Formats: sequence, structure tokens, C-alpha cells
Amino acid sequence: MFRIRSVVAGLRALFRKRQVEREMDEELRDYLDAAAKDKMRSGMSREEATRAARVEMGSVDAVKEEIRSAGWESTVETTWQDLRFGLRVLRRNPGFTAVAALTLALGIGGTAVVFSLLDAVLLRPLPYPHSERLFRLFPLEGKRKRGVEQASYADFRDWQRQSRTFESLAAYGGDSLNLTGTAEPERVQASTVTPGFFATLGVSPAMGREFRSDDTESVAILSYAFWKRRFGSDAGIVGKPIHLEGRAYTVVGVLPSQVRFRSHPWATPASDIFVPVVPTPARNWHSVRVLGRLAPGVSKEQALAEMNGIAARLAQAYPDSEQAQGIAFQPLAQYVVSGANQTVWLLLGAVAFVLLIACANVANLLLSQGAAREREMAIRTAVGASRGRILRQLLTESLLLAGSGGAIGVALAYWAIPLVGRIAPPFSSLFSRLEDAQLHLNWTVLGFSALLSVLSSVLFGVLPAWKAARPAQSTLAASRAGGMRGGLMALEVALSLVLLVGAGLMMKSLIRLLEVDVGFRTEHLLTMQVSLSEAKYSTPEKQAAYFDQVLQRLAAMPAVLSAGTVTDLPLTRNETSNGFEIPGPHPGQGTAGYHAVSAGYFRTMGIPLLNGRELEIGDSANSPLVGVINRSMAGKYWPAENPVGKTIVVYRYVAERTSAGTHVQFKPHMLEIVGIVSDIRQLGLDAPPDPELFMPYDQWPAQEMSLVLRVGAEPSWLIPRVEKEIWRVDPDQPVTDIKTMDEWVAREAAGRQFILLLIGAFASIAAVLAAVGIYGVASYGMRQRTHEIGVRMALGARRQQIVWLILRQNLSWLVIGIAAGLAGAIALTRLLASYLYSVRPTDPSTFALIVLVQLAIAALASFVPAHRATKVDPMVALRYE
Amino acid sequence: MKSSELVQGTLDMLILKTLALEPLHGYGIALRIEQISKGVFRVNPGSLFPAFRRLERAGWIKPEWRPTENNRRAKFYQLTTLGRKQLKAETEEWGRQLAAITRIMRAPAISDL
Repeated sequence: MFRIRSVVAGLRALFRKRQVEREMDEELRDYLDAAAKDKMRSGMSREEATRAARVEMGSVDAVKEEIRSAGWESTVETTWQDLRFGLRVLRRNPGFTAVAALTLALGIGGTAVVFSLLDAVLLRPLPYPHSERLFRLFPLEGKRKRGVEQASYADFRDWQRQSRTFESLAAYGGDSLNLTGTAEPERVQASTVTPGFFATLGVSPAMGREFRSDDTESVAILSYAFWKRRFGSDAGIVGKPIHLEGRAYTVVGVLPSQVRFRSHPWATPASDIFVPVVPTPARNWHSVRVLGRLAPGVSKEQALAEMNGIAARLAQAYPDSEQAQGIAFQPLAQYVVSGANQTVWLLLGAVAFVLLIACANVANLLLSQGAAREREMAIRTAVGASRGRILRQLLTESLLLAGSGGAIGVALAYWAIPLVGRIAPPFSSLFSRLEDAQLHLNWTVLGFSALLSVLSSVLFGVLPAWKAARPAQSTLAASRAGGMRGGLMALEVALSLVLLVGAGLMMKSLIRLLEVDVGFRTEHLLTMQVSLSEAKYSTPEKQAAYFDQVLQRLAAMPAVLSAGTVTDLPLTRNETSNGFEIPGPHPGQGTAGYHAVSAGYFRTMGIPLLNGRELEIGDSANSPLVGVINRSMAGKYWPAENPVGKTIVVYRYVAERTSAGTHVQFKPHMLEIVGIVSDIRQLGLDAPPDPELFMPYDQWPAQEMSLVLRVGAEPSWLIPRVEKEIWRVDPDQPVTDIKTMDEWVAREAAGRQFILLLIGAFASIAAVLAAVGIYGVASYGMRQRTHEIGVRMALGARRQQIVWLILRQNLSWLVIGIAAGLAGAIALTRLLASYLYSVRPTDPSTFALIVLVQLAIAALASFVPAHRATKVDPMVALRYE
Repeated sequence: MKSSELVQGTLDMLILKTLALEPLHGYGIALRIEQISKGVFRVNPGSLFPAFRRLERAGWIKPEWRPTENNRRAKFYQLTTLGRKQLKAETEEWGRQLAAITRIMRAPAISDL
């Protein structure tokens, strides 16, 4: 009741302003009349009575103001007035306004960009209902109970059968498959999944159905995007056959568009095709990743207790083959961003520094402005403005500044967000998440930016407003303001120093990484991958024959100097390692990367032979097994002997399909070491050389191989010709990952480059802002002392003395800033440690260099105003004020 | 005689009380409060009119324009039903508080013993 009446009356006061004012005037006049009449009755003359009544009432305007402020509408009015006045003030100082708004725009815009990353990567939920109940399960192995990615299929089945705390459990794995039959052959990213996998995720197919336990192995489910791209959104696709690996599969379903599943957080692209997992009964064969949906109301701890009980029982029941000692959980939402969340928080921390510097800068600008507006404030106080009223006015101005800064910042972010998305390092969980969640400027980001603007207006506005609302009455207050300015400057210096050190460390890491000697020549090297269809190339002989022909054709091309093939291409993060045994009087065993290569592989790559001989064409399927090892393997296992001529036992993977599933075995073979090659970086640029064993592919055939071509010229123009040449051998085999080796190297550096680019950008902005801040403080100091400078110069002070005078007053704050920045950097660069390569987080040379850079920036920024001080005409300076 | 400051928050109550008899205009109310309190309380327009505004918004008093003898109009305030209820409640509350305060003030202090 009251509320409505008050609102109506308030609105009337706002919109019927003239009428309300007239009534108020009338009422007050009536009051005065009545009061005067009353006094006349007690014997005063009319004039005396009128005057007395007026004196009693005091200022009519003040009374009216009191009446007006009794209603809520007065708040609206004053806010409106404050806004208009604030806009006028900002427009009157376009230089100040532009600098402050741009400064804030950089801070708020940068933060909005990183927040959009955070939003896409961490805040937006997975597209599965009740995804908080989805967990990844990891078997814990060995004495130290190390968690491993994959579990054995047999374990998974036992967990699934025995668990009560999970509503359902499912398993999946990654694969890539050759799709043929329509248009060009294509290698597609696939996931193998168990029946009920999608039900566990909480997803039902948009068309058709999901896998059932009575399905054959030859059924497939398509992703929405793949169905759209490859099959033109064919509404009748369910029930139709498609050809994978040379075999016919029946499409049973198509997934809804929002489901983009990846068999691994950084598998790129998301899986296009889903086929059933082929069971592997061996308990020591880890082939599946396990996913579970907790039953409603069950806690993670209850489930853990149950699952560990199950694991213990299994370990007891199968003491020879069971390897899982326990089970660990991780929420699926955390699993899919492993690695990315650390990066995002790191970047958010870095950009928060930029925002803080921006706020400190604007606070400093406002402090200087406040000094210039002292007169205005004094007049306002004199005519009766309360301190609160002035404070409110000034904070409104701050809010206006922050608002316009925020608006420009959002515009900047709108432009920069897609840019960040484009430089995100491929094959990272960050990249996957950005692709799945779609990075863009959405309402969440906009809302956050608005909130940030308000927050920063408080951050930079309160101190100067507080200060200005109480004009300096004493020199003590004035010097305190000087301290405030110096302190803010020191803060800026410290924060930007931390960012600069971070950027410096990343820069050094990247340089070191790209300087790494990979052990072979990366330039003019074209690489690609071919995976043979299982059905068509079922025997080792057929596989070897295919690669023989392809290599012959490629080597005959005029632009190709030499051609080779290898199972795991260096610098691609791929490696198949396996154990071997050293027989003899002192038996031993070890682990090495197993590679099948062609005879020309080392020559093509430019890997020098150190000892013995290379693999030759004559090392065929019918001759004894031979191998070449790298220097690391020789050094590690035969430190005092020459391994050439020694024999080792290697194990070959043999898979046999039966009705019960695929039986996997490792069969031992004797192999003679015939040569030693020098080390190369196999896994990646930052991975030190490991033992590697190379065997001729005729003796050690593989279905999936990479081709390497040493070419005379720029490799990219050759690509279509090479493809055509390969398809001459078999038009059904897709050629994938056609890249130059330099592209692989660039990809290796992409992750660190991404961090460097962003932190480097933030550090540069921070350095510029800090320089502007130092400049501002120095020139303010100079203006304050113009009179003094004039006197000194009139008395014969030399220019250097004047420059020093100005420099000196900032020096102590600068030193404090640098010291604080160094302490901060030492404390914080630890967070960078996992991104650094062969640089310690406290690398002294980087720290020293950055301090020099910061000093140079500071010296330059304060030298300009100091130099200007010496240009002051003593006469003008003396008349100043 | 020196006028006293009003006890905080009592002005509203006094206005309601003065209007309980008959509708009055602004000066009339001020005069009535001064007269009844024998000049102890003098209300200045700076607090009187904002109080009217408050009470009006709360719905306790209602303004009414009435013609005056010299052909002008004056704003008279009258108590609403809601205002009468409020006055009753405030009067009771005031009585309770007054009794309590009086008891406290009358309690013997150490210096009186």
C-alpha cells in the first residue's frame, strides 16, 4: 500500500515537476502569510512581521530542498544531475578522458577476452544431462599405485557387472578408420564404444538407436556434423551400409548436433564415427577408457569404496594377470580440460595484473585532476554541498569513465576473441574445448565486463574521490597525496615487472626450444600418413608390397631427392615402445621405441650412421631379423661394449580374432643389431632422446606408416602430385596429415607460443601503462614545483641539477616498485614452471635483463617531463600561481 | 523561553496528534504544537514540510486544498483512517517507552544513596 502511494507520488514529482513545485511554493507562501498575520496580531507592523516570519523560516530554497529530498525521487534526480554534470566534466577534459578511458578499455577488454576463454573452457557445462555425475575411472597400478589412462576390457566388464554405486559404466577407445566407397577415400576420426555408452552419457541419438549388446561388430553411429558433411544430411541413412576399412558397416544411428565426443581430450577433430569396441579378453591388455555415471544420491566416496573393494577382489582372483591395485576417479568435466584449466587461470591472473595497473593509472590521473579541481570542490563545499554529496558526484564520474572504458573494452574484446581462438594451440584440450563450446562474446562475458567496469570504477575512484572531497588544508595532507601517487606508481612498476619477467621467461623457453638440435634436417621434408585397410591388406606381405610400390613411385618423381617410411614420425608425439631382452651370460632387459622403417629412411631424414651398417633392401622377410639402434640405446644398455653384432629378443604384437574377441599376444623373435645411428628428438622438441630401435618394414610390417620425402624445392606445391602418385598404387587408401616437417616443428612450439603471445601482449600493455603512469607522476611533480624550479634557475642552477631534481623525487618509489616486482616475480614465476623449457623460473639473466628494461622505461618516462622542466623560463615560473 | 529540540522521531507523532482534532494547514500545525507545549517545542518549516511529505506518502494524512478568506487556497492536512490507527499505536508505544524511561531515571543512583 505505502509503496504504491510513494511510487505514484514520486513519479508525479518527477514528471509533473512544475505543478508540484508550484504547489510547494503556494504552501510555503501561505505558511509565511499565516505566520506574519499571527505576528501582526501581537502588535508588529506588517513589514516587521513579514521580515520576522522570513527570518524564522530561514532560506526558502533550503526548506524546499529539504522537502524535495524527503522522497525517493530526489535520488533519481540527483543521480541524473550527477551524470549530466559528470559528462560535462569529462567532455571538458578530452585529453584526460581519452587517456583514462583507453587505459581502462585495455584492462577491461583484455580481462573480457581471457574471461571468454574461462567461460568456454571451464564454466560452460558439458552437453550431457547431470554431467556432474559423470566420472572417468582409472586403474591404479604397480606398487606406487600410479593411475593409468586405460583399463583392460576384462576389468571393465567385471566393474560393470559388480558395481551398484554406478547407474551405468561404459568404455570407449580411440581409432581412425578408412572410409571408402563414396567420393575420395577419407581417414575419419572414430571412437570405439561399448553398448550403453550413449545412455551413460545421457544422450539418445537424434535418429535411429544406440548400440545394443546383441549388435554385431559391423554397426556404426555417425556424428551429426559428419552425417551432414559426408552424407548430405540423408534422412534415410539409418539402415544403409557404409564402408570402413574395406568392410561394410550398417548405420544404426545419428547423434544430436550438440554431442561432440572425443576419444581423448585433445583428439582433433571430434569423433565422426562410432563403432563397437572389439572385446580383448586378456587382463593385462589395456585397451579401453572407462566412463561411469554415478547413481543419484551416491557420493563419490561411497563409489570409490565400492570400486576399490571390487578391484581388490579381482586382484586376488587373478593374481597372475590382474594389474589394477585400485581405482581412481576424476569428474569428466575436469578430465576433458586437463591442462587447459591451468593455462586459463594463469592467463586470467596475468590479465588481472593489467587491469590493476590500468586502475592504478587512472587513480593517479584522477588524483592529479583532483588537485586541479580543488577550487571547484572548495566552492561546492562553501555553498553547502555535503562531503557525501561531493563523493557521490565524483564516484559518478568514475562510473562514467569506467562505463565508457568498458564499452570500448568490449568492442576490443569482440575483435580479439576470435583472434585468440585462432592462435589456440591445436591438439590440446584447450583447443578441443574452444572448438566444442564455441568461443565468442556472449551474455556471460558481457555481464562480466559490466560488473568489471563497476568494480574497477570503485577500485580507481574511491581513493581520489575521498581525497578530493576533503580538500587539502595542510601541507601534511598534500604530501600524503604525493605518497599516494608514488605508491600507485610503485604498484604499477611492480605488477608490470612481474608480467615482463613472465614474458621474458616464456620467450627464452621458446627460443631454446626452437634452437634444439633435432638430429635431422627438418627443411624441405614433406611428410604424410597412409593407413591400410585391414580387409584389403590382411597379410604382412600385402602390406609390405604396397609400401614398396609407393616408395618406388615417389622416389622416381623428379622433384623428390629421396623417400622413406617410418611407423612413428618424429616430433608428432607418437611412439610405440615395448620391452626387449638381452640374452647371454649377463641377461638384461630394457625398453625401447619400436619403429619399422624403410632402407632409405635415415638417408632421407639426414640421420647420420655412427657405426655398423644401415638397413638395406636385402633385409627382407626371408632373411634373419636385423635392427639399427640409436646412440642412446647403445649408451644405456651397452655402455662399455660395441652393440653391433649383438643379438636381442624383441616382441612382436600379434592379434588374433576369435568369437570371444581379439586375442593379443607378444611373440618373441631374435634380432641382430647391425648399426648405430645418432640420436634424434623422437617424441617432441622438448623430450630428450630415448632408446629407439629401427627395423626394416619388410621384416616388421605395419598397417599404418608415415612417408617422408626429401624434396629439392618448397614442398607444398608438390602435395597434389604426391597424392596422385600414391593413389596410382591404390585409389582407396586415404593420404592424411600431409605436412612439411617444419609445420610439425611449429606445431610442437604452438602451445608455448600461445602462452607467450598472450602473456607478451599483456606485459607490453602493462609496460606502456606503467610508463604512462610514471610519466604522469613525474610531470605532475614538475608542475607542482615550477615555482621552485624558476627560483633555482634564477639563482643559477644548471640544467642537469634540475633534471636530477625531478628524477630524484620518483627514484625511491621506483626502487620500491622494482624490489616489490622482483619479490613478486620470484614468488609467482613458479606457476609458469610447467610451461618453461630449459629455463628455470628464477633465471637470473632474464630477471636482470627485465629489471634493466624496466629501469630504461622508467628513466625515459620521467626524463621527458624533467627535461621539459629545464625549458621553463624563470620569469614565467616565478609569476606562476 | 528557550525552545527544545524534539526527541528524535516524535515529530511525526505530534503532527498526527494535532490533526486528530481537526484538519489544519502547515502554520496551524506548527502553531498548535508550540501552543500546547507551552512554547517548549518550536518546529521549523525545514523539518515540518518534509514530515508532511513523509506522512502523506505513508498514507496517514491526506492533503486538501481549501479556499482561505483572502481568495487564495491553502493546503490543509487531515488524518486518514490509517493515520488514526497509526496514532493509536504510536501513542501506546510512547506510553510504554515513557514509563520505562521514567522508571530508569527515578531509580536511585549511587550518589543519591
